[in-house]
Amino acid sequence: MADHTATHAIHDPNIGTTGLDHRKMGMWIFLGSDCMFFGSLIGTYLAYKGKSLSGPGPHDVFNIPLTSYSAALLLASSLFMVLALTRLNEDRIKAAAFWLFATAAFGLHFVLNQVYEFTTFALDEGLTLSTSLFGSSFFVLTGFHGAHVTGGVLWLSILMVLALRGKLDRRDYTKVEIAGLYWHFVDIVWIAIFTIVYLIP
Amino acid sequence: MAEAHAAAQPSHGGGHATVKTYINVAVALALLTAIEVATLYIPGIPHTLLVSALLFMSALKFFLVVGFFMHLRYDSPIMRALFVGPLIIAIAIILALLALLGAFILLPRHVP
Repeated sequence: MADHTATHAIHDPNIGTTGLDHRKMGMWIFLGSDCMFFGSLIGTYLAYKGKSLSGPGPHDVFNIPLTSYSAALLLASSLFMVLALTRLNEDRIKAAAFWLFATAAFGLHFVLNQVYEFTTFALDEGLTLSTSLFGSSFFVLTGFHGAHVTGGVLWLSILMVLALRGKLDRRDYTKVEIAGLYWHFVDIVWIAIFTIVYLIP
Repeated sequence: MAEAHAAAQPSHGGGHATVKTYINVAVALALLTAIEVATLYIPGIPHTLLVSALLFMSALKFFLVVGFFMHLRYDSPIMRALFVGPLIIAIAIILALLALLGAFILLPRHVP
């Protein structure tokens, strides 16, 4: 029985013949595919940039200070995510839950800023998904990114609730690390969008 | 059993950066973002230089997050290949779309 227990403990079903965790590898494969997805959307945005026949152009509507603030929110949330992971690794669950909360809160703030931005564009500037090529490519690109952030906020909130209920500990490190990978990916996509869409004249 | 299970858990601390490194990276990211935005307001910068500088700073931020926050710097080469491969394809897709639609808008246009 003792031998059986030891064998069972050593053999982790999540570790494959490569010696790597299947779940983590799966997340990297997903992120790789999502990279190509966002690459296509960014390429489409750039290809159509300056070709709209009607409606306002990018630099008639963009609010750079607000978007810079949103970028700072996501960058800060990435730091909070690694702090949550570090605290979890130290088995300081309450501290991990706090940093998960901070990450999700900053993510939610980002989404609310985006909702405000989209609403302003539609109501004040008359720019919608169907106004022009710019409107279509801009809203599809940034909207999909916003949907990713929203998904991440939900995921992190669930992890935070699990931590507060005592259902998350150091043994769940990989589960939280995978959520962290997703969250940082959302951040790097915004780094690209912020520069390519908002900053480049 | 619980002890055996806990003992079987790998240590996650060795291959990752320290909190100090994370904070340094975050400060670097904040500074780069501030410089990026400030660059927009400097008058008289040639278009090509501005675009190159913005893209360079963006790429630097990208790789800082991927390398340190996503731990890819410390991770297995397989994981690195799983991300870098599609990233190269994504960049190729962007360039191909721009070439196909004749929209290399990042470069100054030369009208004959």
